[in-house]
Amino acid sequence: MNAQASVPVLVRRAAAPEDAARADFYALLSRLFHSPPDGALLASLAAAGPIPADGDPELSRAWQALVDASSAMDEDAALDEFEGLFIGTGKAQVSSYAGFYGGAPAIDHPRVRLVNDLARLGLGRPEAVTEPEDHYAGLFDVMRVLAAGGAGRDPAPLAEQRKFYQAHVEPGIAKFFAAVASAPGANYYRRIAAVGAAFAALESESFRLE
Amino acid sequence: MKAIKKTTDRRKFLLAAGLGTAGVAAAVVARAPKAGAKVAAADAAQPDGYHASAHIRKYYKTTEV
Repeated sequence: MNAQASVPVLVRRAAAPEDAARADFYALLSRLFHSPPDGALLASLAAAGPIPADGDPELSRAWQALVDASSAMDEDAALDEFEGLFIGTGKAQVSSYAGFYGGAPAIDHPRVRLVNDLARLGLGRPEAVTEPEDHYAGLFDVMRVLAAGGAGRDPAPLAEQRKFYQAHVEPGIAKFFAAVASAPGANYYRRIAAVGAAFAALESESFRLE
Repeated sequence: MKAIKKTTDRRKFLLAAGLGTAGVAAAVVARAPKAGAKVAAADAAQPDGYHASAHIRKYYKTTEV
């Protein structure tokens, strides 16, 4: 008889290719709105392949513009632009918080609902993170986890993804990307916003298909 | 049956949009280990204690003469 204790093997459901791709877009957007790209990320973006032109033309064009801009950008310039746009000593040029775009009444602030929904999904801020939960970097990261799983989780059912997206991401996302794109200090981030807007339009449309 | 058809439609829509086949963002995320901020679900690399946050760095810049 084998004395070895049996070790349970966890089999996780792999994300479908299109959902893995969605998760990667969310990961990238989360990273770029969390902090400016460093040299390694800029180099990766500059070397990225194209999105086929027979796919979504908006996403394809926006992606190519970002790839092209990434080869001309350096991390110091990216840091300056990021701080100019999103970090204000008084008031930032562009708010990164969903509550700002969705309208935030004092009672039933969207963040209260968000915190409740995150708890229901078993997600929350790591202790070291001090940003409020409705920062778009955090919301994109939640969508990444829901779409592809991770941290010991399976991908969330589509209905759950759609519910979170429509409650917390979709209401203000077009306004957020438009605010980034039209900010006077935006140059490289205008390209990121264009990719984000094209991707979010696809997400919104795809969730309406079911 | 209807639900299966709708799921298929959604998959077709996303694949036709170029997601899933190109894998371009995947390549970026894979090559740049720090891509993916992991703000919500895992650790964000924030040092403990005092550190020069972006807000602090920006404030310092405004005080330069």
